[in-house]
Amino acid sequence: MFAFNCPVNRRRAAWPFPVLAAVFAVAVPGFLLAACSTQSGSAPDHPATTTTTAATAASAASATTASTATAAVSQVPVRRPASALATSLLDQAAQAAVQTSYVGEEIVSHYGSSGGTVLVSDIWHVSGGQTITRTLPTGTFASGEPYLSSDTDGQWPEGVLGVTTQLVRLLEAHYIVVYGGAGEAGNRTAQIVEAWRDDGTLAAQFWLDDATKLPLEREVFDSSSHVISEDVFINVQLSKQVPASAPAGGPADPQGPWTTPLPARQLLALRAHGWLVPPVLPGGLSLFTGAQTQTSSGTVLDLGYSDGLSVVSLFEQRGHLAAKLAGWQKVTVAGHVIYAAEPDQRSLTWSSRGMVYTVLADAPAQTVNDVVGVLPHDAPPGFWKRMSRGLARLASWVDPFR
Amino acid sequence: MTHLGDRLSALIDGELDGAERDRAYAHLASCEQCRTEAAELRALKQKLRALMSRAPAEAAMTRRLIAMTGPGGPLPPRGRLLRLASGPRSTGRRETRPPGPRGSRVPVRRRYLLLGTVSLVIGLGTAAFTVGGSGAAAPGPRITPPVEMYSVEHAITGGEVPFTGPSGQSSAGAPVAGSGATQP
Repeated sequence: MFAFNCPVNRRRAAWPFPVLAAVFAVAVPGFLLAACSTQSGSAPDHPATTTTTAATAASAASATTASTATAAVSQVPVRRPASALATSLLDQAAQAAVQTSYVGEEIVSHYGSSGGTVLVSDIWHVSGGQTITRTLPTGTFASGEPYLSSDTDGQWPEGVLGVTTQLVRLLEAHYIVVYGGAGEAGNRTAQIVEAWRDDGTLAAQFWLDDATKLPLEREVFDSSSHVISEDVFINVQLSKQVPASAPAGGPADPQGPWTTPLPARQLLALRAHGWLVPPVLPGGLSLFTGAQTQTSSGTVLDLGYSDGLSVVSLFEQRGHLAAKLAGWQKVTVAGHVIYAAEPDQRSLTWSSRGMVYTVLADAPAQTVNDVVGVLPHDAPPGFWKRMSRGLARLASWVDPFR
Repeated sequence: MTHLGDRLSALIDGELDGAERDRAYAHLASCEQCRTEAAELRALKQKLRALMSRAPAEAAMTRRLIAMTGPGGPLPPRGRLLRLASGPRSTGRRETRPPGPRGSRVPVRRRYLLLGTVSLVIGLGTAAFTVGGSGAAAPGPRITPPVEMYSVEHAITGGEVPFTGPSGQSSAGAPVAGSGATQP
């Protein structure tokens, strides 16, 4: 019985031809019905729970195999491909995060190997315009300073709970997105969309507001079904204007010091200027955005990678790490000794070959480990190289002409 | 005048008794020829004695070497062979050089010079090894990554709300624009 309930085993099981014929006979019409459906049905198409009736299977199968097929199909859930309804709901959610006016409280929780972090923020958003975010003192990172942004041209991937147009596209490309039925989140009725991995494990669940399609809740799981992040958007109120309670101030430029997002072609062209721009990173992460900024110490390049759920930002800056890094501690990741920012250790940094790399990741620990492993690192110097380097440095210290 | 003849060699060998020896000495006192002959006999006897003192060791060495070339027993141990080749051990007093004003100072000075050189090499090597392992001395700015700025950018990229880093500073983008975050 376990094999019937386990998605992985179900996919690898070798079924006799009559059973497969019955399954396809039922699954294909069912898929066509779901794809053509334009209304949010209440029946979920959960890949692990979807079943078909014995009568339908029996009518589709041949008379000689009907009894066998009926018994099998009635117990074995059918794995369906991505549903158009789920895709449509996610697209609407990404648009709603920008085009709807709302006020709410966002709680973002990350669970990593080094512990969990919680971020609580108030968000005020006006349709097509400003977004004001204020991190509350109750979170791990208590700021109280408002962050003011606006996205009038839709170039910036602002969203709620990580549901943006770009990330939805990546999500649909890397996961099987299915409709999960109706539910409730934050005292509001919601439509549930699920993202499944190819190996049959659940990767994420989204609760989208039934009326506005605003994301209300998101849970992300690793391949071992452990929750790695849980984000909720509560106390949601729909409003056409920023209420008077919204804080004022903050930078008007949503991009801050950063340039507008650079297209992939332009980002890859930066390789000719000595920047490291890998098109993909381990864990199925694809390069989907990037930007540059100027600081007093030089140009900083930000590369964004994602598979639709996990997001990894790789920052590059020419130079070397400072001798003393306040607020950072040494950790070993993928066999390399690097630095992690306290207290949550989400930020990792090291320098190699005249470039400082900083990785910020919202991804499973294994993915972060693999990403750090494939990026450049300086090998420990050999004995003679270390001696020669040390002698040269000592000589430079006593050189009166330097 | 009758010369000593055979009695001369007996006298040299100490084989004459008291009366015979007295008469032989009396003759030597008055006979120049016999004194010369007696002196030659003594010199010859000393040379023979000197030769005979080295002969046993060389004869033993020769016997050993001949024994090694034959199909005889096993080779003698190396240490023993070396001892044999170096001759008999000296049992007399060790010949020492008389201490002079320079003979005692030169070795001590060299010893100190050698000790100082070794200490310098070890100390310099340790310092170079230590200093050489603390990162490359390549040119370029020394950077402390601005976590706040990166966190905001990462949150925007991921479609989440921005937040502050460990320093608790503002999460806004503008204030960190000039935060060079460098060290001289």
